[in-house]
Amino acid sequence: MNISEQLFQALSKQCQPKELDWLKDKSSKDANSLSLSFVMVPRFIEKQELEKSVLDDTAKILPDWNWDGWTLDRLARVYLLSLCQERGLDQEAYIKKINLLFDTAEMNEAVALYSAMPILAYPEAWMNRATDAVRSNVGLIFDAIAFGNPYPKNHFSELAWNQLVLKCIFNDKPIHQIEGLEARNNEALIATLVDFAHERWAANRRVPSQVWRLLVPYLTVAMLSDIEKLIQSDKESDRIAASLVLDQSHLAEAKALAEKYKNQLPAVPAESWGALEKPEPIYQPA
Amino acid sequence: MCQNPHQSNPSHFQGSAEEAMTASTVEQSFEQYIQGMKFFDPHVHMTARTTDDYQALADAGVVAIIEPAFWLGQPRTGLSSFKDYFATLVGWERFRSSQFGIKHYCTIGLNSREANNEALAEEVMEILPLFLQKEGVVGVGEIGFDDQTALEEKYYRAQLELAKEMNLPVQVHTPHRDKKKGTERSMAIALEHGLDPKMVIIDHNNEETVKSVLDQGFYAAFTIYPFTKMGNERMVEIVKQYGPSMIMINSAADWGISDPLAIPKTAALMKMKGISDEDIRLVTYQNALDAFAQSGQIKESDFIHGMEIDQSLKFNGNTVLRGGQAPRVNKNSLIIS
Repeated sequence: MNISEQLFQALSKQCQPKELDWLKDKSSKDANSLSLSFVMVPRFIEKQELEKSVLDDTAKILPDWNWDGWTLDRLARVYLLSLCQERGLDQEAYIKKINLLFDTAEMNEAVALYSAMPILAYPEAWMNRATDAVRSNVGLIFDAIAFGNPYPKNHFSELAWNQLVLKCIFNDKPIHQIEGLEARNNEALIATLVDFAHERWAANRRVPSQVWRLLVPYLTVAMLSDIEKLIQSDKESDRIAASLVLDQSHLAEAKALAEKYKNQLPAVPAESWGALEKPEPIYQPA
Repeated sequence: MCQNPHQSNPSHFQGSAEEAMTASTVEQSFEQYIQGMKFFDPHVHMTARTTDDYQALADAGVVAIIEPAFWLGQPRTGLSSFKDYFATLVGWERFRSSQFGIKHYCTIGLNSREANNEALAEEVMEILPLFLQKEGVVGVGEIGFDDQTALEEKYYRAQLELAKEMNLPVQVHTPHRDKKKGTERSMAIALEHGLDPKMVIIDHNNEETVKSVLDQGFYAAFTIYPFTKMGNERMVEIVKQYGPSMIMINSAADWGISDPLAIPKTAALMKMKGISDEDIRLVTYQNALDAFAQSGQIKESDFIHGMEIDQSLKFNGNTVLRGGQAPRVNKNSLIIS
């Protein structure tokens, strides 16, 4: 089965017969009608959140693609987009068509377009769109490119990747939802993150505890004073982060530090960093 | 849609000095009259307003708004400006509004002033259908007459046809100058094009126009400008005289001197003057909802109990205005943290 057939199969698990009929009818049309149908989707497809049985299909379709939190209308839109490349458009016409949809997208359409990015043809053509989405102040659009989406992992430059992770922290969102967090981790990101943490501390703020996971492979002796600061934090989650970093680092001095604080450090949790994978908003309304 | 040639927006109808006194009372204590009420403002230009206004709307019980496309105070010079503006209405502004728990809809159209630039108007007409099909676009608007030129008429007619074809309500701006004739002409043309009058909302009415609008079966909208300039008591009288049916109130707040809280304040005045809660509800909420829900694009359940039930916005419960800013801030706090 190709991707669009697999998407249709996923849709058929949750769509009502009437919704499926509409989709079947529209999916036989040419590329122009497809983009019109893309716009019209919410008039014909309900906005329920995807059921578990549908979510189970995603990993089979594309590695690192995660539909958590998607609604049925979004999946239907992604399906219609997947059909566009089967309509025999040449590269220029295809890119022009998708760009027109981006240029005129309302919020939910934009979310669907970014969600479909990993399966759009000519992936390099969407790079500027993707980095624009990282810059977006619209939370839903940022989420669509940042979370459960393998496009950044597979195509972003190191600079763009680092911006994505930093923006995610800056936006007060949990980084573990980014696909490829470990695979794309790099030394430049860590240097920036450590500076960022120092700035936050200077402003009497903190960084979410799970962010410290990124330090593990790049931990240096110079960073150990930051880990000591975590050990002394009044937040249990910071102390757990310190335990995990020291436990997982291969740095000899890290082991010595763990030894020094062995009575203060909490036990390393069985679920490792999973214990800290939760929203930890730093900026709370007054 | 109002120009601001002098010190303030010209009122669509003016009030007396005594009315100004009552108005000032309401202005200072309107909140205590409207406890528990919910409002729907079917005409407010939020792109021109600040987040303080959104906060004030949310605090006063405004749960949903419609932002009609209009001009920006000066003419646009190219199609891209129109395209980006329409995209803002269905994108960024919709999101900004959601941050305050207010459901944002819009109407899309070529406004009367800019209809006078024929070359640009032709281009705008080409992209209108694309935007009119968007989710949350609840009508064609605001369109109609300003100077009542031939070009204004041409594009008014063309957009009425578009509305008919797409089965969307129409939000009709009536002119400040020569209002009575302009209103009659707007209605006659709509009927000539075969529109069902209940699909047409005639906006910016006053005592001189309302009877004919209601008699012909159109919705009659009233724009309330700031209390000190405008006789809200007349609005109360109109509701007393004509009843609440087919009547709605809006603020039409924009970049000129105007008051986004016009609806809650007028509701308070109505309450003071003995109009029933049910009639207040009809003219400040339900009638606007009924009129624009004819688009098929409004689900009351999306906003009546607050916006959090909108599944598409619930994901992670985390949206941002700007990195690290909480949308609600305590303005009285001295400490900036």
